[in-house]
Amino acid sequence: MRMRALMRPLLILSAAALGGAARAPARGQAPGVQCAKCHANRDFIAGKGRLGQPDSMLYVPDTTLEHTAHASLTCAACHRGYDAGYPHHASQIVVPCRTCHEQAGNDWDASIHAANAATKGDAPSCVACHGNHRIYSAKDPRSPTYPLNVAGMCGRCHGDARIIGRYFTGPDKLQARIATVQFPKSVHGTALTDAGLIVSATCSDCHGAHKILPADSAASSVNRANIPATCGRCHAGIAQVFDASAHSPTYPRTPGASAAKKDRPVCSDCHSAHAIVRADQPRWLLGVVAECGSCHEREYETYFETYHGQVTQLGFGLVAKCSDCHTAHDMRSVTDPKSTVYATNLTATCGRCHAGANAGFVKYYAHPDPTNLGKYPRLFWPWAFMTGLLVSVMAFFALHTALWLMRSFIEYRRARQRAHGSKP
Amino acid sequence: MTPHPLNASDRGAGPYLWRFSPIHRVLHVLIIVSFLGLAITGLPLRFAYAPWGRWLMQLVGGVVAAGLIHRVCAIITFGYFFAHLAYVTKLLLKTPDKKKIFWGPESIVPQPKDLFDVIAMFKWFFGKGPQPRFDRFSYMEKFDYMGVFWGVAIIGTSGLFLWFPTFFARLFPGWVFNVATIIHGDEALLATSFIFTIHFFNVHFRPGKFPIDTVIFTGRATTDYMREEHPLEYERLQRDGRMKDLVAPPASAAAHLWSVTMGFISLGVGVTVIVLVLWALLH
Repeated sequence: MRMRALMRPLLILSAAALGGAARAPARGQAPGVQCAKCHANRDFIAGKGRLGQPDSMLYVPDTTLEHTAHASLTCAACHRGYDAGYPHHASQIVVPCRTCHEQAGNDWDASIHAANAATKGDAPSCVACHGNHRIYSAKDPRSPTYPLNVAGMCGRCHGDARIIGRYFTGPDKLQARIATVQFPKSVHGTALTDAGLIVSATCSDCHGAHKILPADSAASSVNRANIPATCGRCHAGIAQVFDASAHSPTYPRTPGASAAKKDRPVCSDCHSAHAIVRADQPRWLLGVVAECGSCHEREYETYFETYHGQVTQLGFGLVAKCSDCHTAHDMRSVTDPKSTVYATNLTATCGRCHAGANAGFVKYYAHPDPTNLGKYPRLFWPWAFMTGLLVSVMAFFALHTALWLMRSFIEYRRARQRAHGSKP
Repeated sequence: MTPHPLNASDRGAGPYLWRFSPIHRVLHVLIIVSFLGLAITGLPLRFAYAPWGRWLMQLVGGVVAAGLIHRVCAIITFGYFFAHLAYVTKLLLKTPDKKKIFWGPESIVPQPKDLFDVIAMFKWFFGKGPQPRFDRFSYMEKFDYMGVFWGVAIIGTSGLFLWFPTFFARLFPGWVFNVATIIHGDEALLATSFIFTIHFFNVHFRPGKFPIDTVIFTGRATTDYMREEHPLEYERLQRDGRMKDLVAPPASAAAHLWSVTMGFISLGVGVTVIVLVLWALLH
């Protein structure tokens, strides 16, 4: 969002600056030269055998720059140093875009695209994304950088297995491979395509427009450390809550928690990067339990000892899942008075589903481990008794049954032998 | 009506003798229906992690429908439990010799003879003596009966706790629901494991009974059956001259068809459930 917002004044400023400088010569003209005389003449260009060739861009109709962001510029504003003779002798074919778009140029210089362009040569520079003559503002639906067009534009390269194979390594490679497949189906992708929302996040909103950096770079907007801030640019309310929660790096660790030794999660750990779905969908609500469990292992395992866990495991979203008790983003230590699971807040938390839950009710263990005698003696003994009863009754009667079958077989054989013996 | 080759209670020579009265038969059908309903709606929760958990839960209509079926079957269970208590009370009031109900050869209450029978049975298993001869109820039948009594009491009570947690939380601390979950689930596992293997074997699948015994549905069995399965009762009836009062007409074709169909469906459901439980436990 910020990038798009930044671009706008930049474009206006640069257009104004250039417009001032290049106002004197007539439109479409370099000083003393009528570019259009040849370049707007389709037959002339075709006559040179160039039309239909890669050089067909040499055919530049008079109207090319009309309504573009560069409408006020002349050819020579960008194509400087051409002489009047033919063939042209250009000391400099195109003026670098950064001449006007300095910030964008500097940002691009710092980007992985620039680094790849320098080493491997075919990474995108300005024109690959913005086009050449028909450059429109990012607010213009005709622009490839218009929010509804960005994903398709980036996907031209990032949906290409050859390109991904050449430029990506390690875990980034998998992420890159699935990104263009996942994104259109994600909540951000469908908001763009189905709901037509231009405020929905597209590639450049998270990755930046010009200063695109791989996730392992500390300065990257999608680096783990920067993800909450990046998502928070739109999801400001969530960021506020999250930054005060137990998942925030500044929150004190809960001693003894099974996740205490793990990295704290950021947005994408639970929501994913490119496959983000609506958080009110049953599929998501059930899946996120496993996400919580990937760090909170002990709490996860013992959750399935309860009715809550069992119903959830069966794929029904009717009962309490992690976030129903612990909240989705404001999770806090059980020792934190602001926590929904703090002792004095439990009647309200449980009461959200169990109307009339009282102080006795909330003494329920939501994460019980009956096999742990030290921690749950009240549960251990009933569990031990029931298990003992089950095992002893079944063992006794299994033996009873096995011996009975064996005896029946012996009796049957004897009876047959007797029958055969008495026949003759 | 010709004896049915599949039915143990039809075997040998007649005439038929009454063994179970209509109230016994109706209550047992209620036990079967409610027990199977409870098992197939409860076990998917107990084995939510099993590969078949979701499948069975979907089959019974999802957790909401399963919860409803489970509670309806629970009401049937409480119904037959109290109907049985009422029946015993009525029996007490009607019977002149009240001690007979709680002690003696006709009582279902376990007695020293049952312990001796167990020992004798094991001796017989090892060829060290004759097979024990049973009276009206063998020790296995008494165990089944006591098992249902204990089971309904313990599963029923823990089930009520889990059904009405906010009510019981006024009287007990919340961890009783953890205890109730353990007891309810483990006792249910014991009940299903026992009924669908041991009870099925003792009553239907063991040699001499295979594949089905419908005496609990039709209420009657042949004199040969009674002589072999309950010889002491048979001889006692003969001795007391009560045999002729118990002679029954053969079950009608419809009753027989109903009994065998009902029986095989129940056996099939039970065996399927036990296969699923074993699959889950070994998974």
